[in-house]
This record gives sequence, structure tokens and C-alpha cells, in this order.
Amino acid sequence: MERNRVEELIKKYNARTADATEMQLLERFLESGEVSIEQLEDVNILQDKFEQIDNGSPSLQLDDHFYTMLTNEKRKEKKFTFSLPTWSAFLPKLSFAVSFTILGFFMAYFFINRTAAPEVKQLTQEVSDLKEMMMLSLLEKESATDRLRAVSLTDEMQQASKTVTEALIKTLNKDANINVRLAALEALKPYVGDSSVRMALVRSIAQQESPLIQVAMAELMAAIQEKHAVKELEKMLENNNTPEEVKRRIQKNLEVLI
Amino acid sequence: MLKVKDNDLDKLGLLFERYKKPLFGFFYNLNKDQELSEDLVQNTFLRILKYRHLFRLPENNLQDAGEGSFRTWMFHIARNVSHDHYRKDKIKNKENVEDWQHQLIHHEHKSSELEQQDEQTLLNMAMEKLPADKREILLLSKYQEKKYKEIGEVLGCSEGTVKVKVFRALQELKTIYQQLEKRV
Repeated sequence: MERNRVEELIKKYNARTADATEMQLLERFLESGEVSIEQLEDVNILQDKFEQIDNGSPSLQLDDHFYTMLTNEKRKEKKFTFSLPTWSAFLPKLSFAVSFTILGFFMAYFFINRTAAPEVKQLTQEVSDLKEMMMLSLLEKESATDRLRAVSLTDEMQQASKTVTEALIKTLNKDANINVRLAALEALKPYVGDSSVRMALVRSIAQQESPLIQVAMAELMAAIQEKHAVKELEKMLENNNTPEEVKRRIQKNLEVLI
Repeated sequence: MLKVKDNDLDKLGLLFERYKKPLFGFFYNLNKDQELSEDLVQNTFLRILKYRHLFRLPENNLQDAGEGSFRTWMFHIARNVSHDHYRKDKIKNKENVEDWQHQLIHHEHKSSELEQQDEQTLLNMAMEKLPADKREILLLSKYQEKKYKEIGEVLGCSEGTVKVKVFRALQELKTIYQQLEKRV
């Protein structure tokens, strides 16, 4: 009986004579699995045509960007993948080399301080300024990859200046690309000892709309025990637009903070 | 993907080669911007790399299920990447408001050429007129090979609801398509 009803409905749809109530019923049958889209001629033909639409093709530039990113990531990974046997085999040689290197550094430091300290200091400062300039100019680039490179340049800086931390905060708040914003947050972590950076991070919480960054910020605030962030995190909890999973993670971090 | 998760990063290259085209097609059909779509593909793979430790196989750990669950996970990330992009920049609204004139001229130009256009062009134009959420579900259906259960996992709804959503989107696409056809 029910089967007949379903078949009659499909026939009516295919003859384009189904009314609004019958369309609603048809949707119910679709939902329950009694009718499949393939049985409905018009939409099935359209879906087939849609499947054949040309998708366009990515350019070779995409390959370039991807494989550059992959190579960089592999390089980073390699730093952490020394296996235990390798270590133990090289340990005596390594300790010998390290001792000599340290001794070398001490001697160089002693002599440089006595002879060429001002020149070296000036050179170091120049290199640092250059890196800073490069980072600020890369941050202005349109390509997200360039901006990511800019943010990662801060890893090479011994001590970031106020201009650099401010640029990172601006990136965290304004950059269009979420990966760049996440990288900026990561790059700011070494400077959370600076109260102005901490306060800027607290102010930044309200500006974040991406769930990933919201969670990362909540975790950072809990890790550095920044009590000033409590109010901002609570606001996020009250916001109806905040996803449930994010709320749960924020709540967990708030428990650590309070 | 499990090998990538275990830090065998070369295997990500294989996944990239296999999925870059459907992923690009997904983004490109949503925004019709070549450069932006490539950026979004790159961002999706960057997130896959960054959050690879969060990838989980379903409990019935079969080979096919592994591939299916990676595709589902990938489109889940791709959708977030796309939404984050638009949420942050409000590009969509900006486009609608600022570029309406340009789009109008563009469509008028297209209309005048309709007679020379084929069926696929007409369908492409109908797609452009479809609301974003409906366009998205049709694209997910296409690139997830009509696996409605997987699409349900991406969208956070049941298989049945996905079928109804696809049906409604196709119905609306059909109406727009027919209207465009009449104008030819």
C-alpha cells in the first residue's frame, strides 16, 4: 500500500503535476530513504549534467607553493627526529665536539670583547634591523605564504623590538588568512613576559572570530595565567555565535584561570 | 593519511596530487577566483599538516573507510577554510554591494552571447545565481561522489537531511536554469 503511494508520488513528480503538499511528502520519503534522487527524472538529469561541469584546473604555482611548504615542514621535523641509537653511537664524539665549541666560544667572546666588541655589536644590530625591515615589508605582501615567512622570521630574532611585537599583534588582529594569524599568535608566545604584549593579547580576544584562534588564545591565557583575560573569555562564552565545542574548551581553560 | 599522521610527510604529497583538483574545483565553483581558490587549497593542506594528529579513522577500520574518512575530514577543513576567509574579510558582501554593477554588465554580456553558449555554460550561470549554501551542498555532493552520509558528517546533519537539501538545491537550480533557457 505504502509502496504504491510512493510510486504514485514519483510518477506525479516526473509528470510535473505534484502540488506543494505532495512535494513536502516527497521530501519526507527522500529523508527516510524510501525515495532516491535517482528516481526523480528532472533533478537526476540535472545532477548528471552538473557532474560534467568543467572544474577548472589549478596552475603550477599551486604545486610550487605546496611543495615549498612541505619541504619547510620536513626540515623542521628533521630537527626533532634523531633516534636513540644514533645518539648513543655519536655521544662521545658529540660531547668532545661540543666541549671544544663551547671553549671556542668563550675564547672568541673573551677576545672579541677585548678587541672588536663595538664593531661586532654594531654588525649584530645592523643584521637585526635588516631582518626587522624585511619582516615588516613581507607582512605587507598579498600572498599569505610571504606573510607566513614574515612571521617566521621572528624566530631568528634574538630579541624582538616593540615595532616587531606591534606588527605581530596587528597581524593577529587583522590578517585575512587564519594560518598567518595563528602563526602570529605562536610567534608572540616568547614575548608574553612583556606586560604590553599580554594586554594587547587580552584585547585581541574580542576581535577573534575563528574557532581555532579562539581556542588557541584561551589555552595561551590559561598557560600564562593571565587573569585579565577572564572577562573577555566570559564574553566569548556568552556570545551566541561561539561554537559549542569552543565554549567547552574555553570553559575548561577558565577553570584553570579562576 | 595515517602515515602522514606518523610524520611520514612525503605521503602528504600523494594526497595533494590526488585531491588538489577536486579541492580546487570545490573552491573555484564557489568563488570563481583562480588565485583565491589556489590560496584556499594551500591553506587547507597547511591545516591538514598542522592538525594531522587530530585525524581519526572510524571504528570499522577498513581501507575504503580510511580513504572516505580522509576525504570527509579534508572537506570539513576546506569548508572551514572557506568560511573563515569570508567571515574575516566579508568579501562576499563587499562583492555583492560594490561589484554589482560589474556583475550586471558581465551577465548582460553573457546573456547576449547565450546563443553561442553550450548547455554547460548555462548551467554554470545558473550555479552562479544559486544561494551560496545551496551551491556548497551541490559541490559537496559532486566532490564527495554523492556519499550523503559523509556529507552529513561534514555538515553535522543526518544523511536524510542531506538528501533533502540536495534535492531542494537541485530544484532551485532547475528553476533558474529554465528561466535562463527561456531568455535564450
